[in-house]
Amino acid sequence: MKTKTFSPGDKVALQTKSKLWKGYALESHDSEVILLKLESGYNIGIREGEILNAKVLEKAKPKDKKEVVLEKNPKLRNVVVIITGGTISSRLDYKSGGVIPTDAEDILNIAPEIKNVCNVTKIDTPFMKFSEDMSPSDWKKLAETCEPYLNDKSVDGIIITHGTDTLHYTAAALSFFIQNLNKPIALTYSQRSIDRASTDAALNLICSARYAISDIAEIALVGHKNSDDKICVAMPATKVRKLHTSRRDAFKIVNDTPIAEITSQELKILKTFNARSNNKPKLDTKFQDKVTLIKIHPGQDPSIIEYYEQQGYNGLIIETTGLGQVPGKFSSTNWIPKIKKAIQKGITVCATAQTIYGRLNPNVYSSGRELKKTGIIFLEDMLSETALIKLGWVLGHKNWNSKEKMSEKASNS
Amino acid sequence: MEHDYKKDGLKIGLEIHQQLNTNKLFCDCPSLLRNDEPDYTVERILNPVVGETGEIDVAAAHEKMKNKTFIYHVYDTNCLVELDESPPGEINVDALKIVLQIAELFHCNTFPVTQVMRKTVVDGTNTSGFQRTVLIAHDGYVETPEGKVGIETIALEEDSARKVSEDEKTKTFKLDRLGIPLVEITTKPEIYSPKQCKEVAMKIGEILRACNVKRGIGTIRQDVNVSIKGSKRVEIKGFQDPKMMIKTIDIEISRQKECLKNNECKNEVRGALPDGTSVFQRPMPGAARMYPETDVPLLKISRELINEAKNNLPKLASEHRSYLDEFGLNEELVKLILKQNKVEDFKTLNHVIESPELIAKSLTLFQMEIAKKEKKSLAEVSEILNVHLLEAILEEVGKKISKNDVRTVMQKIVQGETLDKAIEKSDINLKEEVEKFVKENPGLSQGAYMGLVMGKFRGKVSGKEVADVLKEVI
Repeated sequence: MKTKTFSPGDKVALQTKSKLWKGYALESHDSEVILLKLESGYNIGIREGEILNAKVLEKAKPKDKKEVVLEKNPKLRNVVVIITGGTISSRLDYKSGGVIPTDAEDILNIAPEIKNVCNVTKIDTPFMKFSEDMSPSDWKKLAETCEPYLNDKSVDGIIITHGTDTLHYTAAALSFFIQNLNKPIALTYSQRSIDRASTDAALNLICSARYAISDIAEIALVGHKNSDDKICVAMPATKVRKLHTSRRDAFKIVNDTPIAEITSQELKILKTFNARSNNKPKLDTKFQDKVTLIKIHPGQDPSIIEYYEQQGYNGLIIETTGLGQVPGKFSSTNWIPKIKKAIQKGITVCATAQTIYGRLNPNVYSSGRELKKTGIIFLEDMLSETALIKLGWVLGHKNWNSKEKMSEKASNS
Repeated sequence: MEHDYKKDGLKIGLEIHQQLNTNKLFCDCPSLLRNDEPDYTVERILNPVVGETGEIDVAAAHEKMKNKTFIYHVYDTNCLVELDESPPGEINVDALKIVLQIAELFHCNTFPVTQVMRKTVVDGTNTSGFQRTVLIAHDGYVETPEGKVGIETIALEEDSARKVSEDEKTKTFKLDRLGIPLVEITTKPEIYSPKQCKEVAMKIGEILRACNVKRGIGTIRQDVNVSIKGSKRVEIKGFQDPKMMIKTIDIEISRQKECLKNNECKNEVRGALPDGTSVFQRPMPGAARMYPETDVPLLKISRELINEAKNNLPKLASEHRSYLDEFGLNEELVKLILKQNKVEDFKTLNHVIESPELIAKSLTLFQMEIAKKEKKSLAEVSEILNVHLLEAILEEVGKKISKNDVRTVMQKIVQGETLDKAIEKSDINLKEEVEKFVKENPGLSQGAYMGLVMGKFRGKVSGKEVADVLKEVI
């Protein structure tokens, strides 16, 4: 075929040597293959070189954007939904075959039952990103997006939908950025895309709505408790981690317990919580980007620390082995001197546990005691990802004593 | 119930689904049906989804109205793919190769590039809410006594989960069958009588059975599409037995005539009942239910793969028959070999020993007799007496054992003895021994020789064996 005369979405007739094919042209990621949706619904590929003649039968019509009418039931509480991207807010465009962001209408279509739980009064889209592409500036933007709704008395709670990969980083960041929280914020996700009937988004959204209208003024990650579409848990935002690549219950609480268990019918509170109030929330989004996370492994070269020094980093989280060890003086790669030097130069160095579960205790082994002498800050049972965010946030405040602040048992870490 | 099919404008199309004899289509789990207790269960819901037309598919919405909770029985032969907890792996190449052979046997053109699709199914038979299906070939034909019938498409798809039970609120399934590869053969609506329909189904079945497909009840399922002039296409699902087709189609024609009278013809899916009638299942699903499986890459079927399939085409039963006929075997044995799908085994053993009848009996009759005697299933006996073991036994004929010993050796092995031991015990060269007796005691009657031989080898040889050898020697 000399030149392509049709675009995705067009109804076309393609003549090949053996047959005349009719169907809708689709977007194809393979430049040599024309994808065609047949009348039966099946898609087939035709190599471009095999097409003798192509005719457009009907040009694609631009989709009418339906205006979404958000109904309001005066008896129900009001919730704002903030969409940021990820599997939960992307779907396949059937006409073109490409993946497109969902619109507000789709989100409500996934879980129509949400209408019986709350009024979704607004759907806000500050940005659309896969979570692996997010950065600290996106966390700030998200906190800033929440602020007016937190201050708006007519809004009772917020649901944020987000990609799963780095959702736990965002959850921790919001926990530090939004101080004095006065109403519930539920972060939720899906592991199965919303264009399939088995999507986990439906239950996650309904349970998030139940959380958003509750009296729990805390940030929680709301998602499947296990593989069943039955119960969700509200997980403390700084104590949660993605621990599975694909399961519905990918997020697990680490070193803590759930705030609440939620079904589509009810929310059961499981521990003491910070109650809904008329507090005025305060945004504190100062953040120092020059912080990073180093995972210790056997034989690892400690000069990586010098690299970060040279690059101007002033905060390091070292994910230590076991109860809080790094390769010491009996190792061919002794980390102790380099850590000591970095701390002397004014870099804040903290230790977390690479075991994920459990609490550090540097007093048990001599190598832990050696490490302690360097002045490293042991972060007890804090998750490495939470520690990283907290360190960036603490160092963002020039006049704060970072050692004191990091050691402080903040209620939200 | 006399219909003039021509006047009625009867059009029938067949859809035949046959399980392939491989692991599952999108994971490495074995295609093993389980009748024991599950390891654990999961509970799921399915939500209405918006199809590509922007509307919820009618068939899908119909199921949602039932608002059921689905419970799945999970076994250690299942993985996260069947549980809808992990994206699918790449398509099973073994299954693909079998379908390419099937496509060749039906004279179809293979698609060089095709895409795995998700067909929305929300009755709970698929944990994902869809069935994965991919078109492999198109525009072939099958020959029948009444002429060629076009094959519209050949698709490769996943089998559904098996239903265990259902009550008002829940439907329970096992995950064992979910994901077993199925080939779907769809004919063009070029069948014009119920009798022809049955013939086409039988012919397609025969071709499929020549390939590496699963055998037995439930491994093949037939759906029939029926319409008459003025009515709408109705799909009747779930024939286990093509014999019921004629009656069922005749009854459906009458039903459609009735619909026409009342002007209430609808596209619908009906379930075949054992008495030939059918019952409404759901509205006919639209094209809205198909969308691409974005988790697997476009399927490119190479020339090499197609050629490999072409060069390794299995023989049809009719070709096998003419092969077997050359050996002068009796009709019963030929039928047994064909029925039990043992032609390949026969060929293998034919290289070991030049005794077609003994080979045929070892593969079929002997095993059936032993199964009966030992009160075991034929499948169990066949599993023990596999072709490799039979090869080893037959290699000993003329060495440690005689032809007459083969059955006894086989039986002893089924009883649990080792091959060495089984051969040792029948370490009697009966012919040599009989010749010795005859030489040493010339001129006696057959009965007398019989008594002498039996006296010496009591319990080790059967009377029939001795009689046979005596006949030969005297």
